[in-house]
Amino acid sequence: MTARGMWHRETVAELLLASLLPVALVWLGLAGGAGLLRLAVFLVVAGIWHVIWMLARAQPPSLAGTVTALALAVLAPGDLGLLALILSTSFGVVVAELAFGGWGRNVLNPATVALAFMGFGFPAAPWPELPVQIGWAALPALAIGLGTGIMAPGLVLGALLALGAGWAAGLPVAAVFPAAAGVLALLVADPVASASTRLGRWLNGLLYGGLVSLFLALWTGAAAVQLAVYAALFVSLAAPLCDEIAITLWLLQRKRRHG
Amino acid sequence: MALPRLLTLPLIGRNPVTVQILGICSSLAVTTSLETAATMAVSLTVVLVLSSLIISLIRRHLPNSIRLIVQIVIVASLVIVIDQILQAYLFAISQRLSVFVGLITTNCLVLGRTEGFARSNPPGPAMLDALGNGLGYSLILVAVGAVRELFGQGTLMGLTVLPTVDQGGWFTPLSLMLLAPSAFFLLGFVVWGLRSLYPEQQEAPETEPPSVAEART
Repeated sequence: MTARGMWHRETVAELLLASLLPVALVWLGLAGGAGLLRLAVFLVVAGIWHVIWMLARAQPPSLAGTVTALALAVLAPGDLGLLALILSTSFGVVVAELAFGGWGRNVLNPATVALAFMGFGFPAAPWPELPVQIGWAALPALAIGLGTGIMAPGLVLGALLALGAGWAAGLPVAAVFPAAAGVLALLVADPVASASTRLGRWLNGLLYGGLVSLFLALWTGAAAVQLAVYAALFVSLAAPLCDEIAITLWLLQRKRRHG
Repeated sequence: MALPRLLTLPLIGRNPVTVQILGICSSLAVTTSLETAATMAVSLTVVLVLSSLIISLIRRHLPNSIRLIVQIVIVASLVIVIDQILQAYLFAISQRLSVFVGLITTNCLVLGRTEGFARSNPPGPAMLDALGNGLGYSLILVAVGAVRELFGQGTLMGLTVLPTVDQGGWFTPLSLMLLAPSAFFLLGFVVWGLRSLYPEQQEAPETEPPSVAEART
């Protein structure tokens, strides 16, 4: 890596991990030893793949694998077999992250892809019920992310704004608040897989909140985490579109101003 | 080229699906079970061999300006014959294959071989080349179909191999395997594996599309 100064890829990964610590600690406190074991499984699987790709392709491993493991430990369906967990995690980490050249070059968040794989691959496995403390812990996590500058204010505010609009329209947003806020902090606010222009980030956040509200209104029988994870998947697929819209608008504006 | 090479080369080295990425629409659609994949593979191979034979026989009488129309008419006629045979003798499978047998007509692989090889070669080599390409296509189709059926339903050709949890066994079927994206993933993994094993299959830089500047409108 030829990055100069203190801001390089691993700095961002460390700060991302630091900002997610409130969620991690609260979740570990609630889940106890079983949670620690679960986290360890995801850490080992993700870590092994990072090391394999380092040896095979000389791709430096990233601390961001820890963030993926944490998101999976909190959000993955409960009673999947060990084989299914390993398969889904490997799919997310390898296909969504490492095959693209490692963290920072990936298009989608590996944890989002792994969770979608679990959701489509094992539809019978029940999604976890997030306790309300996770939702409240996500707020300081988002605040630290915003304060250190690794999460985008537009994205977070846009998402909260759209969720608030859904709540004002009478949707049961409060019931899915822990899942929506937890997924926002763990998956959607990921600085790599989200939009990277100012307007694009607002659109990205609004789209996430809007999709969660839409799913709440129309998708009967969906678990809270399921709804939020699928919204995160669609939003990260649409992130380049948000950027494209922002850039097109900027070009139009520039053309109008300068001819 | 030596005649046996015409038959063996398209199996791995110049496989139409994994190297030329031809005919993948049908390989995605019909590979949910081994039975449909195998039927489709046989149908396509038969159509490909017969159409190569016919087009090779008339190659000196084929006016250049209408050759594509003539080729399509010949392929389409053969496809209709195959479709009728399937409906007559394998009705249940033909129902599951639905339009995909008819769509062999538009399979890029068939027209690619008749236009690219049979049109300019004698019948013997043309049929060998067609058979090789048909077998190469079949190889991928059957492999993908077997993996999808085995891990999606725990069966092979409808026979239980891995007893699923529903039937009192231990295997949790991977429902994703029955959805179309899994065929994309599996095909991608096959192409990845083959191109890692045979680096000469990787595209040379000069065949990559030229980079075009974005339109600034």
